[in-house]
Amino acid sequence: MSNSTDIVYLDYAASTPADPRVVDVMTPLFGADGDFANPSSGHVAGRRSRAHVERATGQLAELLGCREEELVWTSGATESDNLAIVGAARYRADRGRHLITMPTEHKAVADVSRLLEKKGFEVSWLRPDDTGVLDPTILEAAIRPDTQLVSIMHVNNETGVIQDIEALGAICRERDVLFHVDAAQSVGKLPLDLASMPVDLLSTTAHKVYGPKGIGALYISGRPGCRVEALIHGGGQQGGRRPGTLAVPLIAGFGEAARIARSEMQENHAHLRSQRERLWRGIRDLEGIVQNGSESHAFPGILNVSIEDVEGESLLLALEPLCVATGSACNSKSQEPSSVLRALGRSDMLAQSAIRFSFGRPTTPDEVDIAVERYRTAIARLRDIAPGRAA
Amino acid sequence: MTADPYSEQVRALFARPDHAGDLEKASARVHIEEQGVRISLAAQCDGDIIECLRFRAWGCPHLLAAAEAVCRSYEGQALTALQAFSAAEIMQTLPVPREKLGRILILEDAVRSLGRSARVSPDAGKDTD
Repeated sequence: MSNSTDIVYLDYAASTPADPRVVDVMTPLFGADGDFANPSSGHVAGRRSRAHVERATGQLAELLGCREEELVWTSGATESDNLAIVGAARYRADRGRHLITMPTEHKAVADVSRLLEKKGFEVSWLRPDDTGVLDPTILEAAIRPDTQLVSIMHVNNETGVIQDIEALGAICRERDVLFHVDAAQSVGKLPLDLASMPVDLLSTTAHKVYGPKGIGALYISGRPGCRVEALIHGGGQQGGRRPGTLAVPLIAGFGEAARIARSEMQENHAHLRSQRERLWRGIRDLEGIVQNGSESHAFPGILNVSIEDVEGESLLLALEPLCVATGSACNSKSQEPSSVLRALGRSDMLAQSAIRFSFGRPTTPDEVDIAVERYRTAIARLRDIAPGRAA
Repeated sequence: MTADPYSEQVRALFARPDHAGDLEKASARVHIEEQGVRISLAAQCDGDIIECLRFRAWGCPHLLAAAEAVCRSYEGQALTALQAFSAAEIMQTLPVPREKLGRILILEDAVRSLGRSARVSPDAGKDTD
């Protein structure tokens, strides 16, 4: 995506634009002439609104390979993660108070896990290897009789590393432990068939897959014992699992985004892979550059690189108007290097220089070439300004 | 656009660091590495007057912008003026967020130290002609 201000957007892991077909589905649902009624109402207008929700639920269920009744609409992946982890922890508290996750998880999982630690739960934080991949035998060894939930993301939002959720889930299933997957980065981009996968809870969101912001979903497997306690109360919608009036236009938009993602997944995957390879080819010869994350387990939509002896915040500014993400903690107030990259064993110096390029459907080869040129120029300029180290 | 962490002045100084570099025959030099920040300053003087001031820095955009601003403002001034350089003042001028005070204080140390080292070797710059 570029426009007259020369912005080149390579931050699709942060958010994607709504597909025009999604906007077309949503727009008529807002006004007085559209199906604006409360979908819980019993009258004809309510039933018409409800039909949009039912269609969207079917579209998302088809994308995920699950049953419609296994889906709960939320406000996004953060809420889904909270509902899954806190909801399951509360519902199964009698089984034990031990949870397992990783330090490389998104904050929506990591922070809620820390909250539960403060509330008396014990959390085991499993470390990946230096490529970001978790060895399933490490999970196997960490599960205890009182473990009630394991939460491990599918595609890491910073590095793009894909975890083997089939193998990890199989271990959980064998030990009768609930398995939650944050799939915000993978839904609609990698094939999922939840009916045949050992996953009990799965979080997703629309705005990472060309849907609107403000809508997400939690998959709750229909198998016995897989339940969550609601976090909010009042109204009884969605079987009381997540009450509140349903956001019909957003849900309809997510449904359409799911339909498009399912029908175009293969070609989009090939497109992302091609852009990622093009960018890496353009910068891989730079002195001191390293990829963060396993190449063999890499999601093609994300390329995360660090480079020696370059300061990350200055690099980010020097790259403008290229829109990418930095490896530091999202704001200039905190200069803490990424905890994800530190968990991979990266030094603070390398971690703070990390840049995440993420690609999307609209990304063109020309934009990637601009990114290559800007990155190379910025590195050369900052290295030229930097003094040598004292002997 | 709102919430830009960089003022126009910081952006301009960062984009055009005309004083980034080194001086082959400097009258005085200083190099400091602290808190993950590296700063080198070099001055070429004519008597007590700074003819040329150059910096190299490894750090955030605010630090680089502040170093460039220092070089721009002290060329043509007396060496003694460096002793009066104040981190607080430049933080207010650019401006620099408070959480970056530590690295601007390192710049302050470097600037004042340069002034002191130049004063103890008044003949050091004579071979630059």
